[in-house]
Amino acid sequence: MAASVFTQILWWIGNATEAFILARAVKGKFYGKYLAFYFYLSTVLFVELLRFATYTLQPSSHRVVYWYTEYVAATVGYAVILEIYRQVLKSSPGAARIARTFLLGVLAAVILKVMMNALSGPAWSPAATSAELERNLRTVQLLLLFGVVALLAYYRISTSRNLKGITFGYSFYVFACVMSLAFGSLPDYALRPGWRLVQPIAFLAALFIWGGTLWSYQPSPEPETTSEIERDYKILSEQTNRILSRARSYLKLGGEL
Amino acid sequence: MSQVLPYVGLGLLFLLVLGLWVRQSFVTRAGRAELLMPRQHRSGVGRAAPHRDLGERIFGPEDWDFVSRDTPSEIQRMFQRERTVLAISWLRRTRKRVSQVMRAHVAVAHQSKDLQLATEIRLALSYFLFLILCNSLIGWVWLHGPVRTRRIVGQTLQWAAQLRRAFEQLMARVDPASCRVVGTNFKHGTVRN
Repeated sequence: MAASVFTQILWWIGNATEAFILARAVKGKFYGKYLAFYFYLSTVLFVELLRFATYTLQPSSHRVVYWYTEYVAATVGYAVILEIYRQVLKSSPGAARIARTFLLGVLAAVILKVMMNALSGPAWSPAATSAELERNLRTVQLLLLFGVVALLAYYRISTSRNLKGITFGYSFYVFACVMSLAFGSLPDYALRPGWRLVQPIAFLAALFIWGGTLWSYQPSPEPETTSEIERDYKILSEQTNRILSRARSYLKLGGEL
Repeated sequence: MSQVLPYVGLGLLFLLVLGLWVRQSFVTRAGRAELLMPRQHRSGVGRAAPHRDLGERIFGPEDWDFVSRDTPSEIQRMFQRERTVLAISWLRRTRKRVSQVMRAHVAVAHQSKDLQLATEIRLALSYFLFLILCNSLIGWVWLHGPVRTRRIVGQTLQWAAQLRRAFEQLMARVDPASCRVVGTNFKHGTVRN
């Protein structure tokens, strides 16, 4: 009973926060700046309200609606990841090149896995259970997010507060989904009611992150102009020259040791 | 339980990278200041010269041979202690310098249209191996002192040489003109050889 009330509280707070974030974006006229992300949020909100309406007005068809809409959010989530890739790597052609290779690699791995499953089993299905299918969808998302976050960290690409929030919030939520679905598939965990709250709580946390970071529009930092890069690069090469000259001395030392 | 392990592994790896990125997001300004640092020291190029032979001196056998021959054991222990501190400091400085080179590289490379994935991977691997080796050396020197560590230092410096070569190749792709400048300066620096 207490868990049910808590779930309902989470649900209402979540919907209110989503509506609030969307209202801020419409009011601040930056809905179109992160179209895929706001489309995702709108879809999630719409699906939740549709399920609620069905449950209230026509309880008999609630189950059908629930299963039809189960994977909508996970599928639309791919658009959010693609938008993160596009916006974050806009001013980094080198990193974008690596990202393209990585995306193609993940795509090839997924196709290969699907084909292997199809060839190995007589009656092929994408997953044994719906939870397994969602887990697979979320795992691929986690891999894609891993790629973009690794590029951001390695190349120290500066991004706007909005994009940081979208990336961090969605990464956190997808991570929680994968862990929850992976452990949820174990018999010991699946029956525990507390375990089912992981995803709603993680989504609520992500919503709070988005609410804070998408309060107002902040454009991505302008990439340095060519002259600035060259100027910094010249300084950089002077520094590199000194360090490498010193490294030469070290190498001589290494040869003697 | 074993079916969950790949997801847990992936999740932990993801958390690690996410944590690094979040931490880094708060120190972006410090990183930039580090890149611009040479402007302040441009006039002090000659200051590097007295430190050039420091590594050679710290790990060289001459001082230890002298101390072990003509001094009492108390002095020898004191020498070992002080030389250990010096050696660790020198290794940390070497690590810091190579890290600066890497940071400078990634700051420029991600905007380069000619970036080569294979070179990037090789450079990153060399850098991480160098870091592992350098940190291991610091631990080794701390435990055993610099005299016994001489041979291992040679290996570390070979890693530094590999990193330098990979960096030169990369810079030749990113900016061939500047790379020629670096190369010319190297030729000037061959006096010691």
